[in-house]
Amino acid sequence: MLLVLTEEHREHLSMLPQVEPSVVGEFGRIALEFLRRGTSPKIYEGAARKLGVSVEAVQQGVEGLMFLLMESSKHTISEVDFMDSVLILGFGEELNQVLLQLYQDNKVQIRRILSQLIPSQPAFHQLEWRLDVQLASRSLRQRLVPTVTMRLMLSESEEGQRSTRVLQTDPSTLLHLISTLEAALAAVKTSHSRRILRNIK
Amino acid sequence: MELSESVQKGLQSLGDQTVLDRCSFPVVVDACFRSLLFSRGDPAVLDLPELKHLDKILLKQIHAAATTFILEAVKHNADKSTISFSLEELTFNTERIETFYTTFQKHKKDLELILSSIGRGPAHIKDVSWRLQYQMKNGQLDKVNEPFYLISLSTETGGASEDVDFSCTAEQLQDLVGKLKDAAKSVEKASQV
Repeated sequence: MLLVLTEEHREHLSMLPQVEPSVVGEFGRIALEFLRRGTSPKIYEGAARKLGVSVEAVQQGVEGLMFLLMESSKHTISEVDFMDSVLILGFGEELNQVLLQLYQDNKVQIRRILSQLIPSQPAFHQLEWRLDVQLASRSLRQRLVPTVTMRLMLSESEEGQRSTRVLQTDPSTLLHLISTLEAALAAVKTSHSRRILRNIK
Repeated sequence: MELSESVQKGLQSLGDQTVLDRCSFPVVVDACFRSLLFSRGDPAVLDLPELKHLDKILLKQIHAAATTFILEAVKHNADKSTISFSLEELTFNTERIETFYTTFQKHKKDLELILSSIGRGPAHIKDVSWRLQYQMKNGQLDKVNEPFYLISLSTETGGASEDVDFSCTAEQLQDLVGKLKDAAKSVEKASQV
């Protein structure tokens, strides 16, 4: 699929052919750093001074580049489609190659960064267990009750904030849990699931 | 079994044939067991026609002493000889001991269940439900194309139930099931010792 770039976007990117391709590479590196850590205006000022252009032009160039890379990674467009989309901007062949290189080298990383923005549910991290036997309590002095105590660790979000729950179960419920979850694992291997996983790409 | 003075006095009245005749005794014993098992603090448990002729305060003392004795016997898992010995000391005749013990045996398991439910512990897992989903795209990324599971554990703590929900990939679920199987194996091994 082709990327559709708005007028404004094309205007922002139009300053890129005015500088050398190596500078574009540098802009690309800055753009990635910003995607990873957030923007920092000081770098814009430094680059503007070195190149002799306005700070605004540098900012627009870098942000335009960021947006281009983000949209391309989001849709995982192929090389051909990327080149076709960039061709519309009317840049030289060398510049196009630089942009393509930037895209291919960092596609996976950008996708990973974007996935951190998705609302996420608590995800399974670890399970520890231990077998206990209750021998007595305040109300009953002679008991023999086996229980399995478990610590379930979940990660609440991509940053890795962990939450821990202590849970308990008895042996018969444990066997029921195992058989139910084994049925769940088998569900992804049925022909119905396989057909859908294969065909929706 | 050690019993306090008031309990001993109440039990003595229970065994005393001048206080409770042969017909009233089993009625009182039944009422005491019933108030532990079924009536949930019902104040009318002793309001029976067969017991109308008895002094209300004395009846209450007998009821309190008898229920305490029953709970102590269940708590310490007392056998027939211990119970017979304690009741004999309090001047119960053989017939009354027999009646009391038979009723005790009948209700012992239920009483144990009630006593075992008193107490705290971590949330107890009752059930698990799962859902297999296929993520195609989201607000930030197209072409995600990954299957994932949503697991929900329904747990209970002291009557209040709560659900623990989380998502996991197929590999993580495999890992989870593997660990649960290890736990089950160790339970089996321990039971064979």
